[in-house]
Amino acid sequence: MDQDWRRIDIDAFDPESGRLTEKDLIPPYPNNVTLQDIEPTINQLRNLASSGDSISAIKLATSDPPYSGDENVKYQYFLAVMTALSQVKQSDITNIIKQLSPKQQDVLIKYLYKGMAVKETQKQGGVLLAWFEKLTQVAGINPVVHYINDRKTV
Amino acid sequence: MSQSLRPYLTAVRYSLEAALTLSNFSSQEVERHNRPEVEVPNTSAELLLQPMQIARNENDQVLIEPSVNSVRVSIKVKQADEIEQILVHKFTRFLEQRAEAFYILRRVPIKGYSISFLITNYHTETMKTNKLVDFIIEFMEEVDKEISEMKLFLNARARFVAEAYLGEFVY
Repeated sequence: MDQDWRRIDIDAFDPESGRLTEKDLIPPYPNNVTLQDIEPTINQLRNLASSGDSISAIKLATSDPPYSGDENVKYQYFLAVMTALSQVKQSDITNIIKQLSPKQQDVLIKYLYKGMAVKETQKQGGVLLAWFEKLTQVAGINPVVHYINDRKTV
Repeated sequence: MSQSLRPYLTAVRYSLEAALTLSNFSSQEVERHNRPEVEVPNTSAELLLQPMQIARNENDQVLIEPSVNSVRVSIKVKQADEIEQILVHKFTRFLEQRAEAFYILRRVPIKGYSISFLITNYHTETMKTNKLVDFIIEFMEEVDKEISEMKLFLNARARFVAEAYLGEFVY
């Protein structure tokens, strides 16, 4: 036997060891969202954003994000949200955030953090940081705390 | 403070304040050990929380990795050209070699970043949390200024040396 058996982690094989992996932490979803399911929402989002109705666009974007989708689904939705966010005028941001419910604010901050983490959208850092500042002015530290502890990723 | 720097620092401040709620937490793996969970190869995913990345642009970033008893803060300092790369490297290395004096400084930055801090529950218990946040914010403010100042100084000195040296060859 070439493997040093003293180094085998036997607890990992015990189903009752109480260890949790990344997968165990993802809450169970009734169904997985596919790209076809969210296609209409993405199109609607883009239409609203380009027609200048930014309040409805942001409300729509933050009301039902595809938590249960795979990476590609999340990414497509994320790109649509980013276009919506970047088309809002600086002076309107505070007004829009005030009209969001606390739940929607929590979703918004997830997209802000994701936007700053993904390489393609990091160039828009200034816009995202402006959103972030206005959001903390309205809602304080609460959305940030919720973000840290939330296992539902966008 | 410039107009684009303020929202950046505000975001870092709020994220840090949210992350710095640490508690004393003994290791679940090793008996009688108490180690920063963000640093050790972890078999329990529930101890690590969502990492936060705050970016002003590609060159100016902060990564905050919270866990149950420790937070790792990594800063990427702006490096526009090769001189700045060397200066940042030398400057952060100078600080890291004296890491004991800074308490929260990590000896090696994590990959892709210029300098890292590791704040554990021990630090938040013995020091004031809001002062720790202030320290990191102030560090971020100062380091850019420091680097550009050093660069100016270096250029001025190089010019002077070149003039003095090449002056020998003027007849």
